[in-house]
Amino acid sequence: MSGDALARFAPLFAPRAVAVVGASSGTGGFANTFLRNLRPSGFVGRIYPVHPTAPTIEGFPAVPSLRDLPEPVDYAYVAVGAAQTPKLFEGAAGKLRFVQVVSSGFAESGAPELQAELVAAVRGAGARLVGPNCLGIHAPLAKLSFVDRVGFAPGGVGVLSQSGGLGVDILRRGQMRGLRFSGLVTMGNCADLGAAELLGYYLADPRTKVIGLYLEDAPDARQLFDTLRAARGRKPVVLLKGGRTADGQRASASHTAALAQDDRLWGAFARQTGVALVETLDAFLDALLMFQALPARPGLPTRKLVLFGNGGGTSVLAADAFSRAGFEVPRFGEATLARLEALGLPPGSSVQNPVDTPAGTLRQQDGRIAGRIFEAFAAEPGIGAVVMHLNMTVILSYANPQILPNLFAAALAARDGGAEAGHFVLVLRSDGEADIEAQKQRYREQAVADGIPVYNELAEAAQALRVLAGYETFLAARK
Amino acid sequence: MADPAGARAILAAARAAGRSALNEVEAKQVLAAFGIAVPPGALLPPEPAGPLAEGLHGPFALKIVSRDILHKTEAGGVRIGLPDAAAAGAAIAEMGARIAASGHAVDGWLLEEMAPKGVEMVVGALHDPRFGPVVMCGFGGVLVELLGDIAFAICPIDAVDCDAMLETLRGRALLSGWRGAPPAAIGALRAALLAIGGPGGLLEAVGDAVAELDINPLIVSPAGAVAADARIILGDAR
Repeated sequence: MSGDALARFAPLFAPRAVAVVGASSGTGGFANTFLRNLRPSGFVGRIYPVHPTAPTIEGFPAVPSLRDLPEPVDYAYVAVGAAQTPKLFEGAAGKLRFVQVVSSGFAESGAPELQAELVAAVRGAGARLVGPNCLGIHAPLAKLSFVDRVGFAPGGVGVLSQSGGLGVDILRRGQMRGLRFSGLVTMGNCADLGAAELLGYYLADPRTKVIGLYLEDAPDARQLFDTLRAARGRKPVVLLKGGRTADGQRASASHTAALAQDDRLWGAFARQTGVALVETLDAFLDALLMFQALPARPGLPTRKLVLFGNGGGTSVLAADAFSRAGFEVPRFGEATLARLEALGLPPGSSVQNPVDTPAGTLRQQDGRIAGRIFEAFAAEPGIGAVVMHLNMTVILSYANPQILPNLFAAALAARDGGAEAGHFVLVLRSDGEADIEAQKQRYREQAVADGIPVYNELAEAAQALRVLAGYETFLAARK
Repeated sequence: MADPAGARAILAAARAAGRSALNEVEAKQVLAAFGIAVPPGALLPPEPAGPLAEGLHGPFALKIVSRDILHKTEAGGVRIGLPDAAAAGAAIAEMGARIAASGHAVDGWLLEEMAPKGVEMVVGALHDPRFGPVVMCGFGGVLVELLGDIAFAICPIDAVDCDAMLETLRGRALLSGWRGAPPAAIGALRAALLAIGGPGGLLEAVGDAVAELDINPLIVSPAGAVAADARIILGDAR
């Protein structure tokens, strides 16, 4: 069945022939932009603009209607007035596999009958409908996207979003954080295809390592629950659920009904499926990045960790943040402590966990001292993760170009420190000054490419690591 | 052991009589049909004559059975800790006069042995329009909605779901022996949850016939879990 999902949805996630309905012979709107971007973004498949009269649109020869397509297309992008959409599909049976209607003006605007008519028309043509009321798809395999200025580097993050605009944010902001996508579908009203069915593709797709869902009303919530329940946490799933607090009091004669708010039921959904429920876009991206970079270790759910970096107050706050997130920052045993003390670090350093080494310590041996510190605590038993935090502003103020590369080399060596090495997470802190931000972004890209997740602050890293640990715990309990 | 046919018959009879809820006696019969323990007791007529509590042992709880009254405590229709049959008889006389004066029907009295002392939990269920049948578990009593220390699970549930629900409760330490108290029978609590929301449990067996269900409290002692009070709101289906 999983193989079926892969084959069934391949035309949507890797289309080779597309039709575009709604582009005009002028500069036009969404459909013209979509059409114009196809070749520059690298799409090499066949392109068929559909227009009743114009011979060419944006330089491509047009066909007058979908029924006149010379071959079946994998994906049709439709952006015309809602009322005109159902009749587009007359006589087009067998010409279409997936149709995405981005137009609004359907159930979300009080026109459920028109939406039902659209579904019937698309299904009648033998195709499946995505949308309506959405923005498009991002299909890296085909180098096709509804968003410009996003890359197509192959990745393992598969996303389904009920909101189109948030889909843009996820792609753009996510790519700056280092996320690389296997796909993104904006689903809009989910009139035909919803998250439950589309999820089947990502679960089956060997490229997809983690799945992100943004849902609002989720008409197929029960089917989604059953699908995820059957998957038993096979892949990590992060859920950003909008509208959890919008639910009013339901009429109730019982305590149970009075207490059954939407928020609590989605909490149950997450607990029973192993899905990580997050509350903000940033927490969503942070969690996806964690799963992109780090494989879960269900055999040893992450509990104890070492914090290591520069900044006394930062270390104290970091220990608080990780503790609140359910982790332990245990004191080192005597053997580890003795090895750290033998390094003879300058005054002001603290070798007890959290290990606090002022920048003046970290610049010793041009930063190579960090490697010796990692080695000194590497044998401490039971450590599930090392979180290194660097205050870029302070370290860069030394104007020694060797320090940061050496710190990173030490971090990579620590990450690869053998079978017992735990997760490795990096926090790069900055004051926001433009030059420091630019350097930070370069280091972030390099680290993420090396499989190290990078966060802007320790509290964010704590929350993202908590999501990973929660998934590990779920797998351990359900094995 | 489970008797789903018996439970369905009770629900269908109440529905056929045009009622929207079961009374406590019927609700407990439905629970008992799925193996949930209820206190030993007797249903007495509105004006009982003769011995009240044959074969039962005090102390007793006494509750009004009335088609008009959904919230018995608020209506002054509950007495607990009555030491013996004589005290129960006196309470019936006093409460019966007062409730009759307030214009509510007195259909009878439920006289029950007090459940062993334990942790007062709440167990509930309902049909959610989106997720279907769900169960609830948490700390019960009259403050249940104020404290909100409860968790839900979507059905059908398994033992891991039960434990995960309990794990989320702020007061979970109360169950494992707080301040020297003996630990509560968590296994019996889990069994009650599975009897309602597990595979083949009450919700699956009766379908939409039960719209909402409250067991409050389910008293979980070291010896077991007893449904001391129960309410079932009927659904539309037969």
